[in-house]
Amino acid sequence: MEHPYLLLTSVFGVFGLEEWAASHPHVTYMWLAMIILIFFGWLAGKSISLVPETAQNVFEVLISGMEEFVVSITGEEGRKSYPLLITIFLFVLVGNLMGLVPSLYPPTASVNTTMALALIAVGWSHVVGIWHHGFKYIKHFLGPVPLMIPLFLPIELIAHTARVLSLTFRLFGNMMGHELVVLILLMLGGMFLAPLPVMAMGVFVALVQAFVFFLLSTMYIAGAIEEAH
Amino acid sequence: MKKETGKTIRELGYFASLGMSVALSIFIGLGLGLWLDKKFDTNPVLMFVGLLLGIVAGFSNIIRAGKKGKKY
Repeated sequence: MEHPYLLLTSVFGVFGLEEWAASHPHVTYMWLAMIILIFFGWLAGKSISLVPETAQNVFEVLISGMEEFVVSITGEEGRKSYPLLITIFLFVLVGNLMGLVPSLYPPTASVNTTMALALIAVGWSHVVGIWHHGFKYIKHFLGPVPLMIPLFLPIELIAHTARVLSLTFRLFGNMMGHELVVLILLMLGGMFLAPLPVMAMGVFVALVQAFVFFLLSTMYIAGAIEEAH
Repeated sequence: MKKETGKTIRELGYFASLGMSVALSIFIGLGLGLWLDKKFDTNPVLMFVGLLLGIVAGFSNIIRAGKKGKKY
């Protein structure tokens, strides 16, 4: 289903790139999300002081609250992974919320974006595992009994691939479904503000999906840090 | 965030994602079996092996979640 009107596609049309921008809306809108996030980061860090004021207060509560939450799951070793996790959370949140603004397209409603995020999150959890356990990390994949290694290895590999796919499809499916429902309701009864209740629910969905993505990435990192079973 | 609420949210997220990982494990196993069948030209054998491995992987997820649930 085609989006009726995309703002950034018209903006790129000024530079003669309309065809490319129309076929890659997730790329252009991801840049927009990045610009928004960099702007907020600049805003928060502009006048940093020991006694926080207005904007710095909000960001400090958000960032340090999430940090304590992550550390309560992963233990003290997980603090090093926190910058990646909070970046994923904020990016997915901004990406999801962009779907609620007319003429914007949520970059997370494309399977390309979510697959990239899921690969980064799960890949990083393995890097943390190797970093933490060294060569012994392979024990996570071999099961408890040496005799059953040929059985356990493929099973564990399948289970770890399923993590990537479940992260990918949960976020993609939710955001794409939301976008589709809003578009269909807009087409059927746009004059009577039919999509409004769904958009109100979209705020909740955006927040929950961003949090679930962040939470599951944290738990995969926690699973890589803990000892093999 | 309070400690008790954080724990509840964490468990909620973990157990809610369980069903999807079971279904996806089965499909990954099946897909892997079908792909290997095409590669080695051994038609239905590897598909069934892959399907079985996928089902076992899915159920091992459930068993592991059960063990984890007992710990809390």
